[in-house]
Amino acid sequence: MSILTEHELKELSSQIYKMAELSSEAIVKSVDSLKNSKIDLAREIIENDNIIDSLEVEIDNECIKLLVTRQPAAVHLRLVLSYLKINTDLERIADLCTNIAKETIRLKGRPTLKPLVDIPRMAEISIEMLKKALRAFSEKNEKPAEEVIEMDNAIDELNLQIYRELFSYMAENPAKISEALGLIMVSKALERIGDHVTNIAERAIYYIKGIDIRHE
Amino acid sequence: MEYKISVEDLSFYYGNTEAIKNISLKVKSNTVLALIGPSGCGKSTFLRCINRMNDIIPETKVKGDIKIDNESIYAPKYDVIDLRKQVGMVFQKSNPFPKSIYDNIAYGLKINGIKNRYEIDTTVKTSLEKTGLWDEVKNRLNESALSLSGGQQQRLCIARTIAVQPDIILMDEPASALDPISTQKIEELIHELKSEYTIIIVTHNMQQAARVSDETAFFYMGSLVEMNSTEVIFTNPGREMTENYIIGKFG
Repeated sequence: MSILTEHELKELSSQIYKMAELSSEAIVKSVDSLKNSKIDLAREIIENDNIIDSLEVEIDNECIKLLVTRQPAAVHLRLVLSYLKINTDLERIADLCTNIAKETIRLKGRPTLKPLVDIPRMAEISIEMLKKALRAFSEKNEKPAEEVIEMDNAIDELNLQIYRELFSYMAENPAKISEALGLIMVSKALERIGDHVTNIAERAIYYIKGIDIRHE
Repeated sequence: MEYKISVEDLSFYYGNTEAIKNISLKVKSNTVLALIGPSGCGKSTFLRCINRMNDIIPETKVKGDIKIDNESIYAPKYDVIDLRKQVGMVFQKSNPFPKSIYDNIAYGLKINGIKNRYEIDTTVKTSLEKTGLWDEVKNRLNESALSLSGGQQQRLCIARTIAVQPDIILMDEPASALDPISTQKIEELIHELKSEYTIIIVTHNMQQAARVSDETAFFYMGSLVEMNSTEVIFTNPGREMTENYIIGKFG
């Protein structure tokens, strides 16, 4: 019988945490670039996306190798399968951050339509959610993961609020539709990031308790 | 739900040593049950209780009961010879008789009183076909069974077992001495045989249990720790002890 060693599990986990750290950094930097018109920072985010893409492929390959050579079962199987899935979520989060960075570049240093308050708030919540979801994995504790799922509602609320606000703004100022749409796209990207982090939390619950709570 | 085998509070003693402790479980018809657990946990002893093979070991004692088709096999009037016909067994080491391939299968039929040559020929052929051996041996039926490879010998033993038309086949690590290709053939065979037979297999190979069985029972120190569908046992076992065994923390 093949068995996953503690060393192999630690190695894989540290790669996943590295991936999460890079994605989390991308959220912080992308919103900072937009809020403070930092075009260079935006370019850096887009360039660094390659690193995250390569790490995604590396983690996928490592998971596949362990599945084939170690044939893990029970909690080990659930962990490797969960990592395989959340790896994609983390990569998608970084992709969405490049969309935000592209919006910064599109503005060419002009200030955003209005000072950003809710968008940075969405970013803060999603970073907090990501921390909690990973803590659920590292501590093998479903509580923080359950909190993440609750927290996603706050992000969805903020997204709706931004929509409403920008729609009325567009109605009043048709000349600013393009910029308003840019911010709607950013808000949507952050809302999607919240969904990906929720997926990660759901996978943590699957890893810990063996139950699939998706679509419930 | 139709159960082929019902084990009720079964305990088994070698002298004063309780090797099996109060085991109760049920096996559905036409399914494969895998028994897993570390060496000495009682899997093989349990298996041998089902065809009363342990009867021949001196100073042993059975408590509780096993029912096959709702009939107690430990009832005083129960015919053990009939039981062994109904419950075939395949061992870890293939043990063909030092006779021809043909005679290995015909022997069981003859001692069961079948004399009709045509009937014997037909059964030899269908048994060998069912175990996928027919094409490999049809031109050498009179050669010694010992001239076959290890994997072929094991399939011959399975053919010999099914020739007498049992309902249940017990397998005690049937592929542990075989190479991967022969193992795969045995596993495919188990999959095919289950439409006609109820199979209980003891295996130390966890992946094999996961591949061939519908349900898995985990034994530890003579007790049944957990039994559930194989999918549940290998993805989300209910007991921590089962999980620790499956992920290799002990055993």
